[in-house]
Order: sequence, then C-alpha cells, then structure tokens
Amino acid sequence: MNLSIFRPTSRHLTPSTFRTPTLLRQNARPTISKPTTTTPAPRAPFSATTFLQKRKTKNLTDPRITAIRYHLTHPLTPRPLRFSRTRYLRHWTIHRAWLLFLRKQRWTQERALERQYMSMRAACEALRLLDDKGNTVSEAEAGGFGADAGSLGARGREVGRLYRSAMSKKKVWGSVPVEYARAQVDFPSREGWNHAWMR
Amino acid sequence: MALRELPSRTASALCRSTRPVFAALPPSPRRHTSTDAVRDLEASSSFAVPPPSADLTKDYDPVARSKTRRLKQKPLPPSRYQFRPPKYNRGPLHPHQPPPPSDPSSREFQPGPFSLPRLEQTYQSTIAEDLLTLTYVHTPPGYKRAGPGQRLREWTGDSPYYKNRPLRPPRGSSALRLLTPPRTFRNIPEITKVVLHSMVPEAQENSANLHVAGMALQALTNVRAKAHKARHNVVGWNLREGKYVSLTAEVEREDTFHFLSKLVDVVLPKIKEWKGVSATTGDLSGNITFGLTPDQVALFPEIEVNYDSYPPKMIPGCHITIHTSATNDRDALLLMQSIGIPFYGKLNA
Repeated sequence: MNLSIFRPTSRHLTPSTFRTPTLLRQNARPTISKPTTTTPAPRAPFSATTFLQKRKTKNLTDPRITAIRYHLTHPLTPRPLRFSRTRYLRHWTIHRAWLLFLRKQRWTQERALERQYMSMRAACEALRLLDDKGNTVSEAEAGGFGADAGSLGARGREVGRLYRSAMSKKKVWGSVPVEYARAQVDFPSREGWNHAWMR
Repeated sequence: MALRELPSRTASALCRSTRPVFAALPPSPRRHTSTDAVRDLEASSSFAVPPPSADLTKDYDPVARSKTRRLKQKPLPPSRYQFRPPKYNRGPLHPHQPPPPSDPSSREFQPGPFSLPRLEQTYQSTIAEDLLTLTYVHTPPGYKRAGPGQRLREWTGDSPYYKNRPLRPPRGSSALRLLTPPRTFRNIPEITKVVLHSMVPEAQENSANLHVAGMALQALTNVRAKAHKARHNVVGWNLREGKYVSLTAEVEREDTFHFLSKLVDVVLPKIKEWKGVSATTGDLSGNITFGLTPDQVALFPEIEVNYDSYPPKMIPGCHITIHTSATNDRDALLLMQSIGIPFYGKLNA
C-alpha cells in the first residue's frame, strides 16, 4: 500500500522526505520485458462509444478515489520563506512586535482574572465572619477555619451561613444549562424587527 | 560613540526602574512561545529619545563607512545568506544549539495565530470567569492546606520480607491519579488540543478506505492525518499485525476552536435522536472522548457541501478526544458543558 500520501506536509527534513524521482526509480529496477498481449481489434463499429460502454472492466477504481489520491499526493505546500537580509529583519521585527502584543494581551486577561479572584476572596472572608444580625464577629467565634469549610465555631450556625452555602459545591458539577453556550453573536439584534419601518 | 550609546543607556535605566514591578509576580505556570522571546525586548520605544545632534548627522555616511569596512576586514555575508538551525538537537553541551521555537528560523516555528475564533473570545470573556466563580474554594487567611502526604501505602505486617520493599501500588489501578490543586486564576481549565481518531479496518483489503478517511479527516480538521499500523493480530476485530488500520488527526491551537465550534453549533444540533455524550466519559485526568458515526461525520459542513466527491460508503466514523488542562473529569465535564456539548446521565456527583 502506498502510504507516502500521509507524510506530513510541512518541510521538516526527515530522511523520508527525500524521494527518488520516479524516472530514476524506474531505471534502477531490473527491466523485465512482459509479453505484450495483443487485444483483438474491435469489429470496426461506427463509433467507439457503444463498444466502450459494453466493455465490462472489473476493479475499475472510482474516479473520486483517484481524485482524492491525487490531491493527497500533490499537496499545494508553499515553499519555505526565503528572504534577503533586510526583508528578513523587517519580518523579524514585526514578528517580535506581534509576540509582544500577544504577551500584553495575555497579561491583561490574567490581571482581570486575578482582580476577580481577589475580590471573591475578600467577599468570602467577609461572609465567613458575618453573623445573622449583619455584624462581623471575631475569629474565635466564626467557623470555617480549616480543611472543612462547613465546620462551626463557638457561636454555631448563626455565623457564616452564606459562606457555608457558597462553599458547598453540591449542585455545581454538571449545572450549566445548554442555553449558556449559545454563540455570542451580533445578530439577531435586541429589537429583532423594526415595526415602525415604512417605505 | 558615547553619544550614540546614550539612547540605549537611558532606555535600560528607565527599564531598571520598572522591572521589579513585573518581577514581583511569580511566573505563570503556563508557558507560551512569546513569554521567553519577549523578555529581552526593551519596554521603552526609540521614538521617545531625542534625535542625534547636527554634527553627528552631518558625519553620518553609511556608504563610505561600509567601503572602509570592506577594505579593512571581511565583508558581511551575502544578502541571500540564511541561517539554518542545526538539524538535530544534540543536547545542552553541544556547541550547535537550536534557536527557540518562537524564532522564525527555528525548525519548530509555527506561524500564527491567524484568526481569533468566536469560541476562544467567548472562553476568555465569559467562560473562564464563570468557571472560576463556580469552582472557587475559599482558604481563610492564616490557614495553610496540608499537602497530599504519602500517596502510596506501605507494607504493614510481621513478615521480615516487608522491610525495604518498594511501596504498594495504588488501589484499583497501576498509575496514580493526578492531584487537583486548589483553584486559582491561573489554573482555570482550558482546551489544550483535540485528537480525532478513526479506525478503518477495511483498509487492509482496500487502501482506498484509508485514503478517503484521511481526506475526510483533513477536511474536517485542517490537519494532515497520520496513519497507524495494527500492533497485534486481533482475530475478533479482523486486524493483522503491521497493516495500516487507523488514522489520527491532532488538532492544536486555533484549529481546535474552529473545529469545536463547528461541531457544537452545526453538527451536534443536526443529529437526530441523539441523547448526547455519556456523562461517564473521561479518563480520570480531564480528557473527554466521544464518538461519531459515519452519518454524523457526513453532517460536517466541509463534507456536506462536497458530499459527492466522497464515496458514500467510505466516509469514516471517528472518535473525538478533547484534551483539557483540567486534572479531573468533573472539571473537564463542566468546561465541556459550558462550551455546549450536551451530556446525559448523572453529572452531579
């Protein structure tokens, strides 16, 4: 089976990339002269179409498969970039600027998430120390300090009720509705239909 | 010369004052190509520096300078000279070191990204924040979580042979599961790559099956499929050792988002009487797998518009494995749900 068509398209220099040209390969083989079978000449019909239609050739490859094989073996790979010195330097400068841009973008996203994380942390800490009356209690009276977020302190259940319910992750897993994943697109618009439109 | 060096010196002096602010942050655990490459770039621009003085510009004659250089020493290499990195990496002690993969001359260099997929934007703007909120676990200030401790059991008993024995393997499996660190803003699960695998045992008789399947996978994923041989003889599956029987396409970077958004927005809604992906999927370390039949693969827009150019019986089914950076399955399933893959079964464990 010819599997050369599944070679990677990129030009990494592996020994398998180098193929002997077809002509050379043919010459290298010992030539065996096959006895040529002479097909009997058709009985000279007026046109060849009927004859060709009548001829039943077995193992005829589907032309679609032939086309797929052709396009797998002849990938339109662009040649590697070859630049002169100045063009290469220009290319390199733009590339570095692009990397710098990507890095700044990533940094901004990470800072946004960090800000969110820190504010959630502050909010949870405030809720942990909050009692039923809305007062902040001392560390000794509040619970939730330790591996178990649901542990109670000296004042029992009345302190940090919201904190405990926030930390119980019971219905979190698998709770995302399908509508959540609706693609965020610019259409349809909020209004949807302009009823006031008149020609 | 001293004047010429002035701009770079001012720039480095300016930089020195700003560097410690960045250095105070611990380095992010995720490594990107651009992280190392940009480190030695100066933050200040050369446009901010005042232009050179008038006498300097009057003396500036690059042509004459290059002529004197040509007379004195060896000229620069010709303009068509291209640096070729070494073919093999021979280790850190070898004098020929390859350039970093971010360098365009590197052999591992991949250009891009060339597009900003909608799904990636959605992930960054919405999904990541929501996942962080959903899975946040509070650690009160002053409390330090205990580490995992010893994860492998020791041999306990009276037998003298237990002494100095290697530790017992973990319960139930031969490998230890991944540890899940507490959630922070830096380890929110994200999609790392997608691998498509299609098994074509008919290719042992007729290679056309393999070729058509490879073309179909390539059309779906924008990635060249790789063929694999059967490693053993399996009579029940009609496999013979050493024959090419399957194909994989490994999709990375922006292509993952393009592929997944096609899958979620176009293909999955069109499947008739489909329950969804089983909620028991996953390999316990955050990678989700499900399968599509040949009919379902034919629903992909790339195949659908061009359906006539594939022999209909040879369109392959495939398994899709979505690799995520989550370390357990429920985090990965939550991410998959928020992307829009429907699940059936008990998810809320």
